[in-house]
Amino acid sequence: MSIDWITVAAQIVNFLILVWLLKRFLYRPILDGIDAREREIAERMAEADKIRKAAEAAEAAHKAEIAALRASRAETLEAARAEAEAERDALLAETRKRLEAERAERAARRTEEAQSYSADLHRTGAEALLSLTRKALADLADETLEARIVARAANRLAEVAKDLGAAAGDSREAVALTRDPLPEPEAKALRDAFAAVLPGVTLRLATDPALSPGLTLRLGGAQVAWTVDSYLDGLGAVLEDRAGRPAGKGVTDAA
Amino acid sequence: MQLTPDDSIAFAIGGLAVNWTIVNTWLIMALLTVGSVLITRNLRPDVRPGRWRTALEVIVGLIESQIAEVSHRPDRRLLYFTGTLFLFIVTSNLLTVVPGFDPPTASLSTTAALALSVLVAVPIFGIASRGVGGYLKTYLEPSPIMLPFNIIGEASRGISLAIRLYGNIMSGAVIAAILLGVAPFFFPVAMNMLGLLTGVVQAYIFAILATVYISSATSPPPGPAPDAKDPT
Repeated sequence: MSIDWITVAAQIVNFLILVWLLKRFLYRPILDGIDAREREIAERMAEADKIRKAAEAAEAAHKAEIAALRASRAETLEAARAEAEAERDALLAETRKRLEAERAERAARRTEEAQSYSADLHRTGAEALLSLTRKALADLADETLEARIVARAANRLAEVAKDLGAAAGDSREAVALTRDPLPEPEAKALRDAFAAVLPGVTLRLATDPALSPGLTLRLGGAQVAWTVDSYLDGLGAVLEDRAGRPAGKGVTDAA
Repeated sequence: MQLTPDDSIAFAIGGLAVNWTIVNTWLIMALLTVGSVLITRNLRPDVRPGRWRTALEVIVGLIESQIAEVSHRPDRRLLYFTGTLFLFIVTSNLLTVVPGFDPPTASLSTTAALALSVLVAVPIFGIASRGVGGYLKTYLEPSPIMLPFNIIGEASRGISLAIRLYGNIMSGAVIAAILLGVAPFFFPVAMNMLGLLTGVVQAYIFAILATVYISSATSPPPGPAPDAKDPT
């Protein structure tokens, strides 16, 4: 066992050279590679952390958006429900109004029809009644209806003369209205009767096709009528009772 | 029987005899350097690490972690030094199994050279870390009376390093050679396997002790002082 100092020196030199060689070709590349990889891993982890945070932020924003959408959807549904209810109410009101209008229209039409029917009934009844009355008077009593009406009016004039005179005031003309022109004998009889109870007041004869058969006497603000209206109304009520329908409004009643 | 390869002359250059210790050292140097170059030539971030590169990274990482564990201070210069010590010694010791190869670590001259390198490295690292005054002051601690004992301790460290490695490797090689002559079939194989284990352990011990010696000379790290025990 001996030490060769030349070999020792040579081995020291060899060792130092080996240190340099390994530092150059082994440690630095390996350590640089490890450092680079660690740096890369750190960068990737930082990037992953950043991405994770961004994903969390996006998730939170998404959840907030979903919550907002849900709230908005509820509000929209509520608004749509309210609008639908309002529209339904409006439609119902409109329909109700239209039904009311149709009902009123139908009622008016029914009333009009009833009135028309009643008028027809009155007219037909009156014509029938007048025809029958005229025929009965002519056949049984050899009289005309107009003659009997004038006779009856002349008799009644004496009873209502005072009232007519008071109602006449300053009026000096009376009007006798009939539906058809009076025959001359009846016209003369009426003038005579009138002149007897109300001297100084002239009587003018006139016709009105809209009037009922009979006689209507107007003097100033007063009016006295002898017509068949009340009889026709009674006839109409009887016919409508038989037909099961309400009676229409009658024509002016007899005085 | 030849106990050291120093006596075997390989060739002479200008009258200077070059023995097999130096030649084998050159072979190991070439092996380590070429292997490192081959493994690290494609060391780029875009190239996936191969199994050899990974193995080398594991070895370097292991050495670095051992140094950090002993010195509590990661130091790349210490890694270059003690890492090279470990790789050279372990390669030399493992090549014992190659027939006809006399490991340089079986030469007392080589182990003495490595021990001298450690002895020189200790004050260099110490002065670089503490400064000249700070390093020399460590010889007077814990009291100036300890100065001669500290000097003797420094010298004995080198001697113990050299003798320990030389004795272990040389004895293994010698025993293997003797057993090869006595029982050439089974025992040499078993002894060679044992020699491989011993070689790795001795390389580890040498490198760790060098790290401990150098770390003790450098400034202590902040916090509790490391418990640097001699593993032998």
